[in-house]
Amino acid sequence: MQGRASPDVPGIAAATVFAIASQIIGAAFLYLILRVDGGWQVVGLLALLGLGFYLLERLPWIADYALASFARVPLVAMITAAVIVLAFPFFVGSNTYILHLLIVAELYAVLALALNFQLGSANIPNFATGASYGIGAYVSALLAINFGVSFWLTLPVAALAATLFGFIIGIPSMRTRDTYLALVTIAFGVVVQQLLNNFSWTGGPNGLVGIPAPSLFGHSFADPLVIFGWKLPSQANFYYLSAALVVVAIVTAHRLHGSRIGLAWNALRADEIAAKAQGINVAWFKVLAFAVDAFLAAFAGTIYAFYVSYISPDNFTFLVSVTIMTMVIVGGMDNIFGVIVGAFLLTILPEKLRAFADYRLLFFGVVIIGFLMIRPQGLFPQRMRRYGGEP
Amino acid sequence: MSALLKVENLTMRFGGLVALNDVSLSIDKGAVLAVIGPNGAGKSTLFNVVTGVYRPTSGRVTFDGAEITDRPSYEVVDRGIARTFQSSRLFSDLSVLDNVIIGMHTRTRTGVLTALFRPGASRREMAACVEKAETLLKLGSGDLFEQRYRPAGTLAQADRRRLEIARALASQPKLLLLDEPSVGMDDMETDALVADITRLRVQNPALSVILIEHDMRVVEAFPQHVTCIDYGSKIAEGDFAAVRAEPRVQEAYLGKAVAHA
Ligand SMILES: Nc1ncnc2c1ncn2[C@@H]1O[C@H](COP(=O)(O)OP(=O)(O)OP(=O)(O)O)[C@@H](O)[C@H]1O
Ligand SMILES: [Mg+2]
Repeated sequence: MQGRASPDVPGIAAATVFAIASQIIGAAFLYLILRVDGGWQVVGLLALLGLGFYLLERLPWIADYALASFARVPLVAMITAAVIVLAFPFFVGSNTYILHLLIVAELYAVLALALNFQLGSANIPNFATGASYGIGAYVSALLAINFGVSFWLTLPVAALAATLFGFIIGIPSMRTRDTYLALVTIAFGVVVQQLLNNFSWTGGPNGLVGIPAPSLFGHSFADPLVIFGWKLPSQANFYYLSAALVVVAIVTAHRLHGSRIGLAWNALRADEIAAKAQGINVAWFKVLAFAVDAFLAAFAGTIYAFYVSYISPDNFTFLVSVTIMTMVIVGGMDNIFGVIVGAFLLTILPEKLRAFADYRLLFFGVVIIGFLMIRPQGLFPQRMRRYGGEP
Repeated sequence: MSALLKVENLTMRFGGLVALNDVSLSIDKGAVLAVIGPNGAGKSTLFNVVTGVYRPTSGRVTFDGAEITDRPSYEVVDRGIARTFQSSRLFSDLSVLDNVIIGMHTRTRTGVLTALFRPGASRREMAACVEKAETLLKLGSGDLFEQRYRPAGTLAQADRRRLEIARALASQPKLLLLDEPSVGMDDMETDALVADITRLRVQNPALSVILIEHDMRVVEAFPQHVTCIDYGSKIAEGDFAAVRAEPRVQEAYLGKAVAHA
């Protein structure tokens, strides 16, 4: 219950220990699950994870305590997180496969956070996030290949192009509702993919090859990264770049969620007629959710294109949109942390459970149905906003 | 004194059904108008047309010197009309406090760019909203303030009605439309509601209220202006005593509340 019984506010020392220890344990778990090679070890780790979620569910004070601790010492929590993210590649070492998985997970985390503005905050089913991702990737790749535009410049340009696309798919959302809107977005996604497949200037089904690696201060991202004498594989460049993008996405999500805009989205999710009666321009806020989603997705698309240096329409199919949607539903609608966990789990698990690799769509379908039936609020449910540091 | 809200010859048809038939009424600044009438008379439809939920088949609505017929809801709210719903429509998965803050939507300005690039401004705006919302929650009867972090959907019936009023007031309206605010309240809660409305008018003498009510105890408390609607048409208008004495009104209610009020 939402009872009054104030959760014991942790002292500074306890909060510090908790904020550091919990994040190290989380990182260690991620490390282990990335390291193990299929079979029983994965099952064992999954069982451990399941137990963790079971405990969180049965003992809600754990989550309250965790949040209170992080709120008590936000700086410590953030520094710990930063150190862990920065140090992680050093533990991974030369294992490029793990780095690759991490990059993909980071990009999916951004995509899932992007979709969360719609699906989570405003309950608008959008199956075109994959298309916005693709538009970002293609626009920046085309600019770089044909006009030699630098990666750093293509980032904002591609994002603006995708935002425009977001506005365009958003327009039908003013008139269509729920189920029909889902169909409209599916159609948009398919159309984009078909166009990429059929235009000659997009390279057709063969896609675009030879996207040049970005460079920063004379350091090419194709070269290994050397830090204090440690040599990290070239993937580490993109790992850090993607991590920076995740931070941007988190800050964006956090700021919008905590502002009048996040509240307006939540209002139209709960009751559209009541939202209108509060003076919310419902149509505009729906379109805005599409635009913000496309904007962030395009950033992820640009980094992806420059990372793999080769893109084709197959990278941006309907399945990608479904995957992103699954991540949001599993992680927890409108919960920033949950959505990121969802993205990491659903990127890494299918890779580890090779048995499922050929049945991805089936796997995601079963996961979605299972969650919607058993735990529709996701692993980490949405939490009430708290103001002014009150418990 | 020119009317704050003026409804002229309003007709609303749903297919063959005439929910409002050539209704005209007006309310002055600072006045309370009670709208009564049997079930299905068209009272809620009147609110829905005034607030832009429905477009009227014909007729005109003017508010505060501007025509608002056919204007979208968000513009109507922005101009200063706030409403509650007959079957309360709260944002049930959001906290009581958030419900009230959302009510301030038209009085706040933060857009996406401000939220992203000037987080300080956005946070200050939010903090000011929280403060105002808490004041509003403390103001009314009941203990909404103590329950401010509860999901609105878990509130008791009377509190739901009170919260809807607080949310409507959050937009600093010039005209408050209350659709059967006493539904689901017991006698004591209804008395507290009447006291709340009375106090609101004392604090803000310019506030006008249109009250749809079935409970004649509430209407009696604001007896100066009463309008009775039946089958979509206005059948009586005047002070409560005059309206109640009207044979057509008694006929419409046929021995219901009015007869022994
Ligand atoms: N959207 C709609 N479509 C069709 N008919 C409608 C619609 N809204 C209202 N009506 C009809 O219009 C008539 C008036 O309804 P309204 O809700 O305004 O009545 P009311 O006076 O508020 O009644 P009550 O006291 O029961 O709330 C009713 O016959 C109702 O069925
Ligand atoms: Mg009604």
